[in-house]
Amino acid sequence: MRRLTLRGMLTCMVLAATPAFAQDITLTTNASGITIGGSQGAWSTGFGSVNGLGLGTPATGETILSGTGGKLYSSPYDIAITGSTGSIKAVVKAYVSTNFAHNAILQVYSCLASCGSAANHTAMSTNSGSPTNIVPSPGQHNSTVTARLAIFVSSQNGASAFTGADSATITLLVSDGNGPVVHTYTLTLNNPTTNVQTAVSLSVATAASGRTVSAGSDFGLSYGTVNGLGISPGVGLTATGVSGGQLYSTPYLLQPSFSSFSSTTGTLTGYVSTDFTHPSQLELRDSSNGSSYSAISKSSGSQTTFTSSAASASTVTRYLGLFVANTNGGGVFTGADSATVTYTLVVP
Amino acid sequence: MAALVLIAGTSAGASAATSAVNASTVSPTLQVSVTVQKAIALTLSQGATAGACNVTTASDYSISFGNVDALGINTPTCGASFLPTTPGVSPSAYYTDYKLTPMFTNQSSTTATVTAYVSTNFATLASILSVVQASSAPANIGALSAMSTSSGSPTSIGTTLASGTAITRYIGVTVQPTNSGSSTVSGSDTATITYTMTVP
Repeated sequence: MRRLTLRGMLTCMVLAATPAFAQDITLTTNASGITIGGSQGAWSTGFGSVNGLGLGTPATGETILSGTGGKLYSSPYDIAITGSTGSIKAVVKAYVSTNFAHNAILQVYSCLASCGSAANHTAMSTNSGSPTNIVPSPGQHNSTVTARLAIFVSSQNGASAFTGADSATITLLVSDGNGPVVHTYTLTLNNPTTNVQTAVSLSVATAASGRTVSAGSDFGLSYGTVNGLGISPGVGLTATGVSGGQLYSTPYLLQPSFSSFSSTTGTLTGYVSTDFTHPSQLELRDSSNGSSYSAISKSSGSQTTFTSSAASASTVTRYLGLFVANTNGGGVFTGADSATVTYTLVVP
Repeated sequence: MAALVLIAGTSAGASAATSAVNASTVSPTLQVSVTVQKAIALTLSQGATAGACNVTTASDYSISFGNVDALGINTPTCGASFLPTTPGVSPSAYYTDYKLTPMFTNQSSTTATVTAYVSTNFATLASILSVVQASSAPANIGALSAMSTSSGSPTSIGTTLASGTAITRYIGVTVQPTNSGSSTVSGSDTATITYTMTVP
């Protein structure tokens, strides 16, 4: 009798324990995502080289989204749920157990739905007491759930800027929702290691009421038809009589962007790298205010400085003037001509 | 014998003319294109003589001599006048100096010619009013000659004119002392002169 009772108690304990430990998950690579490696319960993945402007081609499986003050590198991954049938469902939560060393620059994000938008990504909790829902309660039966993992890369510059390698570890908690955690796994973001790089960009754009700047090779601005008398300037142009001819001018925008530099300002210069074929009749001039112009340098070695304090994401308005001589006589030129201005943004 | 070749790559890869990563410099270009055309303009303006008639920029330009009469009794509103050589028989004249400024650019020639003719003559007072002109300050009424009314043979205003250099010419009206009970011989009237500048 005593032996039978003990056997019965053991049977009951086994029956009671089996459902609690049945839920399990396996992280796997999504067909459109970054590779999930490592071993069961100790997975690894990584985003590789990233930058705060999202420039360059992201690694396979990564999508770059624009966030506030930086970029999100986002990737789907799959969570294969097993052992969850009937009344047993799996709930998965996660938190960043080892944060990036430079967590002012890099942060782990998560997204569960409508993840094409950065706004639907949320920072993953760094608190084990209040982890982030990955497969929220009441949980899921056996199935494969696709979620997204992301890292936010700040575009900040200055003393706190960072470039180089960093990694973080996420701890995954599997439970039935109301019960105890039955599995604790890790996903380490070190395969490949996250490598923050500097990024620099300079665009030329159309100013309000200015001549259209097109995104040609690299950028283009057409003055259309001009003449030495300033008759009928095109849209966005102002013709002003100056010594020896006319000055057709337009405001335009220089848009510098850079990230992860110790300096918060850069220097913007430019020069006429390819001059007009008829430089005696046509000349490019620059102005900061639209009223006082000077010829743009034609020397790469001594370029015209537009500003030495260009801040990232801060637009610089300049005025580009085209001088058209009012000369007559043999050999005078009419027809099409072009010149190229090469701008250089240097961030020290 | 075996050779071991080590190939090292840098990570300064993804770069374009407008942006770059793992770099501190970027140099995009702006191509500026333009088409230069010939241009030509002729402007009329008030003469330099004190009291010269004002030239206004109405359609395209206009000038008004105000009240005139064949005996030269009316003091000229602007400009000057000549009394008739034979009052009651020959006309009086009211005239003013004015400026013509030819402007032209990107022409193979450095000089231009300007001609003019009366393209719309006086209407109701055509029998008593005529447009007259002179290339230099007229010393007397005889120095003012009639302006052509034919587009085919316009009056020469100037030749070998340089761009940007204003020239002074004289324009006026003669008033015949005609009396008539059957036709209109007083009142307001206007005429139009068309100028043509040509750069060969």
